[in-house]
Amino acid sequence: MSAPDLRVRIGGLTLKNPVMVASGIFGYGDEFMGLAPFGELGALVLKTVTREPREGNPPAARTAETPGGMVNAIGLENVGVEAFLRDKLPIALSYGTEVIASIAGDTPEEFAECARILDEARVSALEINISCPNVKQGGMAFGVDAEASAEVVAAVRRATGKPVIAKLTPNVTDIAGVARACERAGADAVSLSNTFSAMVVDAETRRPILAANTGGLSGPAIRPAAVYRAFQVARAVGIPVIGMGGIWNASDALEFIIVGASAVAVGTALYADPEAANRVLAGIRDYLERHKIASIGELVGSVQLRG
Amino acid sequence: MSGPGAAAPPGQARRARLPIRESARLHDAHHRLTLAAPEIAASAEPGQFLHVWCHPPEELDRPPSAAILRRPFSISRVRPPDGVELLLRVRGTGGRMLAAKRAGESLDVIGPLGRGFRIREGLAVAAVVAGGLGLAPAPFLVERLRDRGARVILLVGAAEDERVPFLVERPRAGRATLPELAALGAEVSFVSEAVEGVLVSELLEARLGELMEQSAEVFAIGPRAMLKRLAEVTEGCLPLQVSLEERMACGVGACRSCVVPARAEGRPAYQTVCREGPVFDANEIDWERLEA
Repeated sequence: MSAPDLRVRIGGLTLKNPVMVASGIFGYGDEFMGLAPFGELGALVLKTVTREPREGNPPAARTAETPGGMVNAIGLENVGVEAFLRDKLPIALSYGTEVIASIAGDTPEEFAECARILDEARVSALEINISCPNVKQGGMAFGVDAEASAEVVAAVRRATGKPVIAKLTPNVTDIAGVARACERAGADAVSLSNTFSAMVVDAETRRPILAANTGGLSGPAIRPAAVYRAFQVARAVGIPVIGMGGIWNASDALEFIIVGASAVAVGTALYADPEAANRVLAGIRDYLERHKIASIGELVGSVQLRG
Repeated sequence: MSGPGAAAPPGQARRARLPIRESARLHDAHHRLTLAAPEIAASAEPGQFLHVWCHPPEELDRPPSAAILRRPFSISRVRPPDGVELLLRVRGTGGRMLAAKRAGESLDVIGPLGRGFRIREGLAVAAVVAGGLGLAPAPFLVERLRDRGARVILLVGAAEDERVPFLVERPRAGRATLPELAALGAEVSFVSEAVEGVLVSELLEARLGELMEQSAEVFAIGPRAMLKRLAEVTEGCLPLQVSLEERMACGVGACRSCVVPARAEGRPAYQTVCREGPVFDANEIDWERLEA
């Protein structure tokens, strides 16, 4: 049997395989250089940028380790879209695979302005971060509301010809409804889940560990909850779903694909193992060969529900 | 050597699976791991750290339920040609796992990472000020300073003797000392809050005039409160470099977890401890905004 076909399509974009690095993990690509062959991956989703640079949340602490995961509240610290284009993007492009920019803003217009600026750049797609739990304005404030999500997606859609991915928050009652609203507004794909809202308190001092008091939980602890949401969303929309949330190894990634995700992104695991996404990709390839599945597409949504 | 504010260039981070040569339990929950790591031994600078995976390297594919992040440890000592020592105080899950490792097992390590201490050409006198577990990387620094020809005055403080990762000797006559560090050629003074009731910053203050006359530089590692006090004491009279600690996730500057407030004009408001640090010039830090 010839090698399995791993290609996936997202809007007009074809990825050579379905494994990505999730936004916010990998910075803009320069910091992790030399630690893994990231060019092998389907795409690299870079850290969210905004129109102007942002300082983010106060330090001490921005991160807390928890059982099977970590809670973070970085607060979208970033260099701003202009410095991103000038200083960061060329380094990310040097990996030789598709680069996806992640954008955020306080208003739909600010999202659209970032999208317009990036429309000329050599990024393969735009991911709209309407799901950051760690900023007071924008971010998750859009993602928890289907209409507000749709408004942002529509504004970005008008501003760019590039494929548009809406990154969804799990912190809603009806994630499928938000996903459908994004689809109707012109999103080419949805990605989920961003982090789960969370809090860690030091019982001795009665103070939250995070300077922002609350943050977002990621890591293996959230995986089953994220798989379920990918399942719900995949049944609700016709556009591709990019699944993420606690993926550590290939079988974790396959869970997302089997319930309906066309592609997957690896996040927190990279902090333990910078080669985690490459390991996931190799494992998916092995799985397809072992099960004699010719193309990854055959596996997408192939879950055999019980009863 | 990189100048102030310069991060390590991209592509410098290296990852390796390193054999443990020795795993030694020390006094009061301290533990020393000696790795066989010729490349690190040859290239590391004092103040740099290793980012260590606490679980067995062969289990990287298995999601752990605890200690899912690596742990940063500054390099304690280099024993040429290939010995690299780490010193830890066992407190949580990660430390317990590392202390349970035996010689012959291996560790998945990324490093050396970060920006270490800068030693000026021709430096004649160095005052190294360390508090508590901050003494862990002091042997590497003292040895490097001695190799460069500097006289080293080592001032050490702790809440109590047991909080120091090296044994404190209290002779009947005379002052407390640390024989292992004295053996490296440092002039050691030790004070504990419990016995002497003196802070290590006071030892430095008492010698300011003498150190200024000798154009000395100060190198400090320890708790934030100590570093803040030293920054006040040395302001405008002695150059000070400080090694900072903060909770880390990635260890390479990507995740922006371990930031500290910076004060230099024209630079980002926050600098990462893992990449732009852990060693900063005192005047790079916004001490007012730095939480103790």
